[in-house]
Amino acid sequence: MTFENSTNKERLGSIEWLLLLATVCLVVIGVAFISSARSPAEMAEDYSLFRQFYFKQLLFAGLGLSAALIVNLLDYHTLARWSLVFYWACIGLLLLVPLIGVSAGGATRWLNLGLFNFQPSELTKLAFIFMLASFLARPDQELRTVGNFWKAIGMMVLPFLIILKEPDLGSALIFIPVGLVMMFVGNIPPRYLAKLMGGAALLIALVLVDVLFAPKGYQFIQLETYQKQRLMVYFGLDFAPDNATEAERRAARQLQEEKSYQVRQALITVGSGGVWGKGWRQGNQTLKGYLPPGAAHNDFIFSVIAEQKGFIGSATVLVLYGVILFTGIRIASQARDRLGKLLAVGVVTLVFSHVFINIGMNIRLMPVTGVPLPLLSYGGTSVIVSLLAIGVLHNVHLYRRAY
Amino acid sequence: MFTFDQLKQNDVPLRVLALGMLAGLLILLGGLWWVQIISYHRHTDNERNQSYRTVRIPAIRGKILDRDGHVLAENRPSYNVNLYLEELRPQFAEEFRRLRPMREDTNAPAWRRWLGIDTSKAVPVRLTVSQRTALNNRARFNVAARAVQQVSQVIGVEIPFTEEEFTKHFISLRALRMPIIENLDGALLARFLESTALPPSVDLEIDPLRYYPQGRTAAHLVGYLVKDTDSKRDEVSDVTYRLTDYRGNLGLERVFDQELRGRAGVKAVLVNNLGYREAENIWYPNEPGKNLMLTLDLPLQQAAEEALYREVGPDAAGAIIVMDANNGDLYALASAPAYDPNDFIPRISNEKMAAYHDEKTKPMRNRATQENYRPGSVFKIVTALAGLQSGVINERNIHEPFYSPKYIMVGNARFEDEAPIGDYTFERAFIKSSNTYFIHYGLEAGFAAMQRAGMELQFGQSMSLPTRQNNAGNFPTPEWIEQMKVNQGLRWLDGDTANLCIGQGYLDVTPLQVAVMIAAVANGGTIVQPRLVDRIVAQPGLDDDPGPRVMPYETRGRAEFAPEHFALVRKAMRADVANVAPGPNQGTGWRAEVPGMNICAKTGTAENKRPGSSRVDRKDVWFASFAPYEDPKYVVIVMVEGGVFGGTTAAPVAKKIYQAIQKREQSGEFPARQRLVQR
Repeated sequence: MTFENSTNKERLGSIEWLLLLATVCLVVIGVAFISSARSPAEMAEDYSLFRQFYFKQLLFAGLGLSAALIVNLLDYHTLARWSLVFYWACIGLLLLVPLIGVSAGGATRWLNLGLFNFQPSELTKLAFIFMLASFLARPDQELRTVGNFWKAIGMMVLPFLIILKEPDLGSALIFIPVGLVMMFVGNIPPRYLAKLMGGAALLIALVLVDVLFAPKGYQFIQLETYQKQRLMVYFGLDFAPDNATEAERRAARQLQEEKSYQVRQALITVGSGGVWGKGWRQGNQTLKGYLPPGAAHNDFIFSVIAEQKGFIGSATVLVLYGVILFTGIRIASQARDRLGKLLAVGVVTLVFSHVFINIGMNIRLMPVTGVPLPLLSYGGTSVIVSLLAIGVLHNVHLYRRAY
Repeated sequence: MFTFDQLKQNDVPLRVLALGMLAGLLILLGGLWWVQIISYHRHTDNERNQSYRTVRIPAIRGKILDRDGHVLAENRPSYNVNLYLEELRPQFAEEFRRLRPMREDTNAPAWRRWLGIDTSKAVPVRLTVSQRTALNNRARFNVAARAVQQVSQVIGVEIPFTEEEFTKHFISLRALRMPIIENLDGALLARFLESTALPPSVDLEIDPLRYYPQGRTAAHLVGYLVKDTDSKRDEVSDVTYRLTDYRGNLGLERVFDQELRGRAGVKAVLVNNLGYREAENIWYPNEPGKNLMLTLDLPLQQAAEEALYREVGPDAAGAIIVMDANNGDLYALASAPAYDPNDFIPRISNEKMAAYHDEKTKPMRNRATQENYRPGSVFKIVTALAGLQSGVINERNIHEPFYSPKYIMVGNARFEDEAPIGDYTFERAFIKSSNTYFIHYGLEAGFAAMQRAGMELQFGQSMSLPTRQNNAGNFPTPEWIEQMKVNQGLRWLDGDTANLCIGQGYLDVTPLQVAVMIAAVANGGTIVQPRLVDRIVAQPGLDDDPGPRVMPYETRGRAEFAPEHFALVRKAMRADVANVAPGPNQGTGWRAEVPGMNICAKTGTAENKRPGSSRVDRKDVWFASFAPYEDPKYVVIVMVEGGVFGGTTAAPVAKKIYQAIQKREQSGEFPARQRLVQR
């Protein structure tokens, strides 16, 4: 690294080692526990190294780190100039997904890139942060106009709707907190935000009531069946309607058992870890397939860590995220201008939302949605975009004094 | 906190954001604290419940051995071929894919069709849940049936295997191996072991199975086993699965079940989310059962049974007892007809069960201890002792002739005599078994003297053999008479006493009671406690072996008769066998004489009449004996149902037994372990 030399010292900040350390720790933990979660399957199938998930994750992490490094070579202002292109390119990719995308489990979310399946919605999150930050970086007077406020809302709602259609409720929902927090920090007048938040809260309440309690024929919002079932599981609602016959009720109960299975197993997995955990590559919940093996290495990687390393391990993970998040807030507060601050806040909120939703769903605080845990969950797009986002955060830190 | 200090004081939104995130992380931390630390035990219990199946593993049952360690009951390896379902899982999946209906996919995206890329491909038809389940069941059964078929070809035996049976096992016992053929014999085992064409999901297991190498020999003492599904005390009782276990249902297997059975252990089978077996470990090891060492002598037991079947016929019904006259050790105790305890393992067929519960032949009854018989003339020993003790037979008249007209009138009843008309001394009356003589002197001695003599010799009392197959028989004690008087208005008459004197009437005995009585005569009055179990020994190699538990020798009391009276009876009994020469003084038991053994005996022939009928139904014949005369060691009782006379049917059986005893004595050591009676 050449950032430390004396000529650049005037212009550049130093490397944020704490951020880097926490990031690398999380990546390493992720790789280690992906390997643990996948070990039964990989031992059974005798995969070659290149097909083993932890190795692939390591490759993605390498790619992500390189991308983050490259991002740090250019001032974030330079990058932000391309945000419009970046944003609309991502929207274009999102629109391509239903046409040529790859389907799995009833949803079409991926583009086949040969090496891995690329998930445009992940990248769109970052593009959206750039787009909104650039937009909100304008002078305060302009921000006070209603038109600009609605433009900002539009930027948020467009990808939200496209991704919701995939369907990918979890990824879509992420745009809301990220957008709202950026607007809040970006000096959008609080009265707009208050109205917006109030409206959003009312809307969500109405949607939930409609989805969960409205009788057939009065459900104006058509969620996918599985989405509705997940919500019902989360709120502990009986699957059987009130007027169900005994047979229907039995069938509904069995379905409920099946649908609650993942949530229940995740809770047992986390809970049975205790204080110290059962040890790496130990413990029946993950290794004997009780925690659904298809999800253990991505959406439920936190359960694996919690089972094998206990409360100590899961608290360590939380602390590492805490380090990233609060370093991010400090970076935001020290940023040279509003663009840098908004970029940093966007990234921090993005990471926090993922962490809160994902860990929350592992311990039944949140309903199950397909939101990955940044840096830990298996998935090429997720890990690359997460590292890229942290790279952007670091960029704001690095160029905080540049003029 | 470092972040807050460094934040600009006026940057309220950032502070709010930081606080919000801190709150979020603390909520997560609190949630984790709740789940992982506060509710840890609940989740661990849930985990354990869903991932372990416990299996009760019965302990290896102890052996039953004779006095020299010959085996009466043991365990033999049973070679069972089992199917391991978890090994078949990849094949289940493969077969499912093969069976799954496919369809041509015409739903290719428009742009691919537009580009002219041929996108038609076969894709699986969407199945409903129930269709999927049915298809999965079929696929699993196909795979399992193929494996079974392969085994069947290898060993060359058709193995029955139904889908119903398989599905039942799959649903309820998935974590356990599935037995497909049990108990392979030598040839099949060899074919199985030599084959290289066996699927890997099939393996041979060796399970212990109860085995009675002697078959019917001593079957009534040994007992038999039935399948059992109960937990015994000191065991973990809530287990998911139980392997086949047995419990004793008769005889020693039943009475000493606790000792023989040992203690079952528990193993835990770790299963995966689909219920297939992943690993096993033992949670509680089982403790093997203890061995039972009996007082029986297997060669003598075999000789006794063989003698009965040889001399009387294969359908013989009767009982034989060979007992030590001085300490009650039972050397042989046989009952015929017998059952084969092997027939109950693993379970008895209905036909056999019906045959074993035949009301006429009663093969399950231990005739030596459980059935009532009239002792007939054997009881004249008691009459003789009563007469001698009361003094009606004494020094003066013992050698005086007593004239018998071949019948005697008691009141209005006429008692016939098998013995010929003529003069009888005590000894001649004894060896010719004169009814007239013994009724005469018995009546003269009086019922009270008869009653006392019988009670001294413990008739009407259970002999408390540990097999719990004891029958107390029936003896007219004062209490019994009182009871009969109240219940049935019985008045005891001289005729009843006369019947008692010749071992008929209100008198029922078991062969074991007769053996104890003969032992008392032989040893001079000690009533020995018949002893069957010598010791209970732990399996060799146990860490905390408490040492053998030796069953004590016991006496049941003494029969108070003068020694010289016993001597007179012994002398008469000796003459009964020793007077071999044909003529007026030939003993009824002469056919049993074995040179060198000096056998002493009394024969008996009891008539069984149905109540209210005068026709004799069946004659039960006896040969009650001891030997040698000078220093009695052995008591041999032979009782045959439906014989002709004691001397003709039972005596030859006894002779064979005494020959066997003689052979045993000559071939080596055959001492009594302990002598209770000192002379």
